[in-house]
Amino acid sequence: MSTYTQATSTAKKPVSAEVVGQFSWGITLIFALSSTCWVLLPYTGYMFAALVFLLAIVLAGVSWNRGPVLTMAVMSALVWNFIFIPPQFTLHIDKPQDVIMFALFFIVAMSMGHLITRLRKREESLEQHHREREQLLAAKHRAELLAESERLHRTLLDSISHELKTPIAIIRTALDGLDEGNPFAAEIDTANRRLQRIVENFLEMTRVESDALKPHPEWCEIGDVLHAATTPLQRDIAQHPLVITGAESLPLLMLDSRLLAQALRNVLYNAILYTPAATPVEIHVTLENNILQIRVRDHGHGIPLESLDQLFDKFYRAPDSPAGGTGLGLAISRGLMRAMKGDIEAQNHPEGGAEFTLHLPVKSRQA
Amino acid sequence: MSKALIIDDEQQMRRLLRMALESRGYEIYEAADGPLGLQEAAFHRPDVILLDLGLPSMSGIEVLKRLREWSDVPVLILSVRDQENVKVEALECGADDYVTKPFGTAELLARLTVIQRRRFTRQNPEIIVGKLRLDLLHHEASLNAEQVKLTPTEFALIKVLAEHAGRIVTQNQIIRQVWPGQQTDQSEGLRVHINHLRKKIGASGPQIINEPGIGYRLESEGES
Repeated sequence: MSTYTQATSTAKKPVSAEVVGQFSWGITLIFALSSTCWVLLPYTGYMFAALVFLLAIVLAGVSWNRGPVLTMAVMSALVWNFIFIPPQFTLHIDKPQDVIMFALFFIVAMSMGHLITRLRKREESLEQHHREREQLLAAKHRAELLAESERLHRTLLDSISHELKTPIAIIRTALDGLDEGNPFAAEIDTANRRLQRIVENFLEMTRVESDALKPHPEWCEIGDVLHAATTPLQRDIAQHPLVITGAESLPLLMLDSRLLAQALRNVLYNAILYTPAATPVEIHVTLENNILQIRVRDHGHGIPLESLDQLFDKFYRAPDSPAGGTGLGLAISRGLMRAMKGDIEAQNHPEGGAEFTLHLPVKSRQA
Repeated sequence: MSKALIIDDEQQMRRLLRMALESRGYEIYEAADGPLGLQEAAFHRPDVILLDLGLPSMSGIEVLKRLREWSDVPVLILSVRDQENVKVEALECGADDYVTKPFGTAELLARLTVIQRRRFTRQNPEIIVGKLRLDLLHHEASLNAEQVKLTPTEFALIKVLAEHAGRIVTQNQIIRQVWPGQQTDQSEGLRVHINHLRKKIGASGPQIINEPGIGYRLESEGES
């Protein structure tokens, strides 16, 4: 019965090897039944064989394909005629009532085979519909749950963001009202900006980790990305000459400029923080094989070898780091780049200084 | 004397803004939530409104929508949220510009001045932004009195930006005015034409500044 179970379990998709198996089992079955009925013929009469054949066809129709079942119907009709209907061992039939019987048998066997296989097909497709529907419903439910938790998460983030940033904003506005020459005000301002950066880094790290971050790529110019990355750093970058090369010749790129600008900004801020004043920071942009590469090279002391591996880890701070960092900037950059299907790497330049490479796959279009 | 209405739920923020703006000659009205803000706006008819987006009960966006049903007073959005889509929604609901908290007083005052400068009136067929001059009668642009050859699309584009000089214009707002009635996505075309315009105007003219995820701002040189 192994073929029987196999046929049921994979009945949806008839495989040719399986159909061949059904054909051979069908023929074998007809042969076995004819032998049995032949032995029983003296006790039961030849009508009995016809009923046994019909039963076999009905049962086969429950699980087998149409082809083998109809073949069984034709075969059993012929076998019945040849072996059982007198005169035996000829296809000739003597009595007119036997001719009618044979014709009836043929029609009943064929239609039974046909109807039962069709019925089964319909049942199967109904069942499949049902299964698909349930899968769809389950998927919909999951999506709704996910959207709801995402929405909650975002609302929570928004309200925390509001609570943390409002006092910082108030301090900032209040400071603007003080005399500009006041050295105490300048200290408060520096501390407040530091606090603001820490709060923003924490919020951004949470966003990066929560999968709430979805890139929205659109066509943009790389110059706009660089502008957006450097403008907020103007206060800090003033002490470092910024040399940008390769950006002029680039076509339009399909990317999320906000996320890329932020990833780049953190790398630049890092370069500024870790290198002596007045040393230049170089940005070199290339596009090759649909991979955008932004290399940021500084002229500081480079990255300590033992730090290279952990540089992008959350909260990691290299030994002898200047105070004021959170150890989150580069981790955020990596999270942002990965959210965009890109990545970021660090190495020491052979001629000194650290070199960070941001790269991501982009579509491009000549402007 | 300009009248300014501050709608913000943070009392400290309102007090500080009042001090900062009163010293610059503004007459200040305050409201702590949306419904009150709408009442104050109807009663005092301010010349400019500073609207916080994160208000309790009625959201800033909702306040803006109701306000725009009967008033076109310039509105500056104050927002701590850095989510671009909220800003874009506010701008497309009729806000004139935004500042993100924490902001410097200088930045706030500059934005207020720009949005209060009465929106472009059609009595003069000419727009001047810094060294750039647009002749709307002949569809001609000139930079430092030298003519700049622009295609009709480029002219339409720079016109939209120049009419809003110093103010942010969202991508959709630009597209709706430059390609009216177009159903297809024009953001790619917009980038291409901005690119060409920047090359033609060069570094000496006003700069077309992109704000990622939001839109463009035309800034005349020496005013940013």
